[in-house]
Amino acid sequence: MTVTQVSTTQAKSMPSLPRLEEMQVVYKKPESLTDAHTHYCPGCTHGIIHRLIAEVIDELGVRERTIGVAPVGCAVFAYEYFNVDGCEAAHGRAPAMATGLKRVMPNHIIFTYQGDGDLASIGGNEILHAAGRGENLTVIFVNNAVYGMTGGQMAPTTPPGMVTTSSPFGRDIQSQGYPMHITEMLAIMPGVAYAARRSMHSVAEIRKTKKAIRLAFEAQLKNLGLGIVEILSSCPTNWHLGPVESLDFIRDRMIPIFPLGELKVHEALKQSK
Amino acid sequence: MTREYIDGASAIARGALKAGCNFFAGYPISPATPILLHMLRELPKVGGVGIQAEDEISAISMCIGAAMSGASAMTATSGPGISLYSENIGLAIMGEVPLVIVDVMRMGPATGGATTAAQGDIQFVRWGTSGGYPIVALAPSSVAECYTLAQRAFDIAERLRTPVFLLPDKEMVMSMATVDVAEYEDIEVGKRPLVPAPRAGNGSGVKINAVTGRPDPRLRPEETYLPYDFDPIDAIPATSPFGGPHITRFTTSSHDEHGFLTKDPVKVGRLNDHLRLKIENRRHELEFGRLERHEDAKTLFISYGTTARAMREAVERSHESGEPASGLTLHTLWPVPENLILAAAEGHERVVVAELNHGQYRREIERLLYKHAAQNRQAPPEILGLNRVDGELITPEQFLEMTP
Repeated sequence: MTVTQVSTTQAKSMPSLPRLEEMQVVYKKPESLTDAHTHYCPGCTHGIIHRLIAEVIDELGVRERTIGVAPVGCAVFAYEYFNVDGCEAAHGRAPAMATGLKRVMPNHIIFTYQGDGDLASIGGNEILHAAGRGENLTVIFVNNAVYGMTGGQMAPTTPPGMVTTSSPFGRDIQSQGYPMHITEMLAIMPGVAYAARRSMHSVAEIRKTKKAIRLAFEAQLKNLGLGIVEILSSCPTNWHLGPVESLDFIRDRMIPIFPLGELKVHEALKQSK
Repeated sequence: MTREYIDGASAIARGALKAGCNFFAGYPISPATPILLHMLRELPKVGGVGIQAEDEISAISMCIGAAMSGASAMTATSGPGISLYSENIGLAIMGEVPLVIVDVMRMGPATGGATTAAQGDIQFVRWGTSGGYPIVALAPSSVAECYTLAQRAFDIAERLRTPVFLLPDKEMVMSMATVDVAEYEDIEVGKRPLVPAPRAGNGSGVKINAVTGRPDPRLRPEETYLPYDFDPIDAIPATSPFGGPHITRFTTSSHDEHGFLTKDPVKVGRLNDHLRLKIENRRHELEFGRLERHEDAKTLFISYGTTARAMREAVERSHESGEPASGLTLHTLWPVPENLILAAAEGHERVVVAELNHGQYRREIERLLYKHAAQNRQAPPEILGLNRVDGELITPEQFLEMTP
């Protein structure tokens, strides 16, 4: 479009600008995403995470045999946004439903997409035992420190002192406990092939997140066991912060509690890096 | 007249606190979350304990533990959550645990409609745990009734040592309403029967049962009473909280009077008959509702919850139209308030049961009225259902269309 509007003189002064028919698309909507408009709040990073997953599925060429399992939580409509088969599990039970799918269709690529309330709280048992069984699944664990959909209640991942609707006096570790480090817990389990924690607060970290997601899918492609990527994500609506302040909150309040990095990388994945 | 603008969730929480509730555990789930938030905020101020559990199985388990140690416990949930409560509802029935369970009914099945009103859990709460033992269920149909029935739920739960369900629907809990504060009715809330302090023996070598005050050769050396001893069979056994002055034991399996597992058919049968009869034989004390009868009415509307609000408006308008109808608002759903329903139906040619499901309570009305008519060799009234399951409420106009 732009090219057709460029005057001849400008075109001459920019000899490197290719003609429209010679231009290549270098950035487009992944095939693994649908055209649906997401319902996510402004400043929420769920949408970017969706895109990263879709890009990885495209790059691995597995879209036709990928199945996503959506949680109960903000990502409840994920099945509508990914251009793959998708089903929703009961709250917290995505790894169990995914186990059923994967055991029946071992050549399919199954991923769960779960929030911190879904995975770390009500679904603590299911993720623990899916990891214990070494299921060949890819788990995307979006940690935004609160229950988003039900209105910003405290989650197992809420930082101490943080005010939420269900910790109106600030999370008190004496009565409400400490933030839980699920990914570290899973990383020590032999059934887990890949475990990493990444963040959405900067472009550099977003790029690292994509690499981690790719490795978590590759672990499944190579039948190495469970791959999990915990992604620190923003929730401007329930944090009562602006989008930019929310990214700062991830950097300043969440990363000190939830350090970033790879917690486990299976030997067979190291050459992929 | 002092009025306030308030939602049903706040009224339930206030009623519970007024009734002495000092323990609450729940898990975030629409549309029950406002009750959780209210209790988490208010309980610490009165020395109580409020916990956000990691899931619903844990939430009700926490409440059972608290109640068994003497606390006045309540939990609140909705569709998928009440489904997860199922196993522990049975445990509370078996342990004769006083517990108030608020099930804010939303559209089902599964996650259904998280913020969509429905009345689809009526039969679920009655039969929702294995074995099929009775419970008590109350349904408020106004914000003021949310307050009063929360207290009544605690009263029944304590006195009968049973789980009691409070069954508002989503609209009842989340909609704001103007309430005349004079409508808030406080009731006297009873307490579970407690075992008196242990008594010394009379020197005969036979231990004294602290409940009966008499020597009891059934007592084991460490025991001072029998926690699951009921005589007559429908009596509510006196209890001592865990951590209290008496040894108290409980198994979730069929148990004898000591609270130990037994397979003795006589004792197992007696226990299970007791669990049924302690509620069945008190059904007539548990009949709560409101009848607006019109002597010339041919039609009786029966409803509960939010639907009963539309019904009451329809009854009022039917009087103006010259084709009057009567209206029965049920506050007790379980056990079925048979006397109330039979008395209300008397003299009506037609009974319309209105509810936001496919006719769950109409089954009970049909069972009752057809049986009554058969036993008395009478013709039963025509029984019709007015039902809606599209997430919208039944309107007064829909009621009026059901009159001849």
